Amino acid sequence: MGKIQVNGNEQEIEVPISLLELIKKNNVEQPDMVSVQINGEFLPRENFTTTLLYEGDEVDFLYFMGGGARC
Amino acid sequence: MLKPTGFTTKLIHSPFAKDDVNRALHQPIYSNSAFDFESAEQMELSFQGRLPVHSYSRVSNPTVENFELRIKQMTGSLNVTALSSGMAAISNTIFVLAYAGSNILVSKHLFGNTYVFFESTIKDFGIEIRFCDLTNTEEVQANIDNKTALVFVETITNPQLEVVDLEKLSRVAHENNVPLIADSTLTPPNVFKAKDFGVDIEVISSTKCISGGATSIGGLIVDYGTFDWGKSQKLASLAKRFGSFAFNQKLRREVFRNLGACLSPFAAYLQNLGLETLQLRFEKASENCQKLVRFLETIPEVKAVNYPGKVGSPFYEISKHQFGKFPGAILTFDFASREKCFTFLNKLELIKRATNIYDNKTLIIHPASTIYCDFDKCIRESLGVSDLTLRLSLGIEDIEDLKNDILQALN
Repeated sequence: MGKIQVNGNEQEIEVPISLLELIKKNNVEQPDMVSVQINGEFLPRENFTTTLLYEGDEVDFLYFMGGGARC
Repeated sequence: MLKPTGFTTKLIHSPFAKDDVNRALHQPIYSNSAFDFESAEQMELSFQGRLPVHSYSRVSNPTVENFELRIKQMTGSLNVTALSSGMAAISNTIFVLAYAGSNILVSKHLFGNTYVFFESTIKDFGIEIRFCDLTNTEEVQANIDNKTALVFVETITNPQLEVVDLEKLSRVAHENNVPLIADSTLTPPNVFKAKDFGVDIEVISSTKCISGGATSIGGLIVDYGTFDWGKSQKLASLAKRFGSFAFNQKLRREVFRNLGACLSPFAAYLQNLGLETLQLRFEKASENCQKLVRFLETIPEVKAVNYPGKVGSPFYEISKHQFGKFPGAILTFDFASREKCFTFLNKLELIKRATNIYDNKTLIIHPASTIYCDFDKCIRESLGVSDLTLRLSLGIEDIEDLKNDILQALN
């Protein structure tokens, strides 16, 4: 188990965890429209399937409303 | 599941961002200003950009969003923003990329309002405008430096109907770490694939063809996500956090919402309807244009006919390469005198005297005495706008009716 910050809230979670699993676990709305930042850095969508998250990582799920982030 | 491949099929069958509760086949018009939230926490998350919901229609709106998503799908782009006009699309883009002390490379051959925006409005903000011949890559290279914020080009200039080799121009711009911005209003996305020719940001006046034939005023910023914004002086720090979304972040979270030039939901609804018949209308208007080019060339009073898709035009090959069979539905032609132009205009019965392009109706204008009336003759000539020239924007009427109107106006 380890701690990860998700949208500013600490979560105790089995680490490492894949990004896709974290998206599912957090019921992220409209996942095809979401943009992801990890530790303040934007994650290209092509890396969504291969990214793993570790103890201490800070993850933000963001939306650019209006034709924005749906990739 | 069957995946449609055709341009119009994909467009018509593109899904809404969220399923409509009544299963409406067209995105309903959400004309309200504000949206309710379930809780203060939800509201906070929304304002932080952490929930995909709408809060205020100046920032985003479901009807407008549907239009944006369709354009996004149609262009294969990364982000699309719909605005209140084509000029709003241009000005918002410039405010995102340019800064006091920077410079912009642009041709003098521009739509009248765009020319004045660069030549006067933007200059007052300490931005230098470098007018140069964008068809000459050596001249472009000589004018670019490390303060160049962008290169701006019209895919077919209006009304000169000049066509730049965009692959060459984008190569020079990118070698110098400068993004290429193209106004593709005359060549909508069904005939021009901007990304394939190195365009990073496309601006479009959707008022014209996309709206359904001039049904409403609107504009589009299409961001292909191709430029490395880490190389942009203004967006480098945002690029560290947002990567290819840096332009969109600056636009949607700041410039667009603060300048307030949002598209109205009703206009978005009309433009969405128009979009569905874009290909049909544009091909018909372009075919009419090509037929009228040949027709006008047979009339002795007509001294010259200009159309980039005409064999013999200096831009014929590059037009064909960039726009395929349909390089626009606009032509210009000359009479021997300004008086002859006016007499002809006054005798037309079907063709409308109006300052727009890509209406479903055929429109005609004498650019020198209207769009360019604030410039003296010397400047007009440097802009390639002659007193002898009329601009004709073809509609979707039956061609014989247009020919008959022209013939009766000549007699």
